[in-house]
Amino acid sequence: MVKLAAKCILAGDPTVGKTALAQIFRSDGAHFQKSYTLTTGVDLVVKTVPVPDTGDSVELFIFDSAGKELFSEMLDKLWESPNALCLVYDVTSEQSFNNCSKWLEKVRSLAPGSSLPGVLVGNKTDLAGRRAVESAQARAWALGQGLECFETSVKEMENYEAPFHCLAKQFLHLYREKVDAFHSLL
Amino acid sequence: MRKVDLCLSSEGAEVVLATSSDEKHPPENIIDGNPETFWTTTGMFPQEFIVCFHRHVRIEKLVIQSYYVRTLRIEKSTSNEPVNFELWIERDLVHTEGQLQNEEIMAHDGYATYLRFIIMSAFDHFASVHSVSAEGIAVSNLSQ
Repeated sequence: MVKLAAKCILAGDPTVGKTALAQIFRSDGAHFQKSYTLTTGVDLVVKTVPVPDTGDSVELFIFDSAGKELFSEMLDKLWESPNALCLVYDVTSEQSFNNCSKWLEKVRSLAPGSSLPGVLVGNKTDLAGRRAVESAQARAWALGQGLECFETSVKEMENYEAPFHCLAKQFLHLYREKVDAFHSLL
Repeated sequence: MRKVDLCLSSEGAEVVLATSSDEKHPPENIIDGNPETFWTTTGMFPQEFIVCFHRHVRIEKLVIQSYYVRTLRIEKSTSNEPVNFELWIERDLVHTEGQLQNEEIMAHDGYATYLRFIIMSAFDHFASVHSVSAEGIAVSNLSQ
């Protein structure tokens, strides 16, 4: 039995629902934030996620920071050595989807080692009439980038846990790979 | 006086604290004299462990076998309790792909009762420590 700890970066454009996603995950669906407040600085959400069928768990330290400042020095410091990435876009905003590659590049450049567990999350599926990014399009891009792909409606409390459970599972998998590598050193 | 590896459980050393542990790779593996067994960090840095010698020792040489460790800070204490640690050595290690890092440090002023090893950063998400040996002499027992 092992309990891992992972620094998980929540990235994506402003207003895609990063904070709402983190908060609903923290409160197990009890709180949907109805009014929007721009996140300045950083919010930290800490939650332990058990990995099914293993007895192991991952404590996620979710760094929810302002989606405005892609090129700030503060972000470099704040996001140093990430262990996992939750990349969020808004399915009604093509621009927020297109910007995902920039966020991904940014976080990957700060990661230790060559691999970084990651998920792509399309939020606001409740706004079906305004959808601008098709699931297939997102899935194709995510696949090419080695990210697992999810769609959520934080407002309807749909599927908001799956991305985090997936990250925990990926991180545990990475740990086991590394331990195998440590075994093979001698 | 006889020079021995002070950092062995068989010589009375003990790991009294480690910030992360996987049941399968406990910190005791660091001082069991077997480099095939190891302690792993389990996510995020810094991570640390403290070795207690249960006596006053003077260390002349340290050898640390590890993997993926980047910046290592070693503090020591000469107190009877694990308090009053002071910075002793700080090293940036080199990554050696596919083989253990083998860091040898000649020690100055090596009087200690406790050593605290802090892994400040690593080359990957996780790091391992396979063994720490401390060549030196036992000076005296702890006063009660």
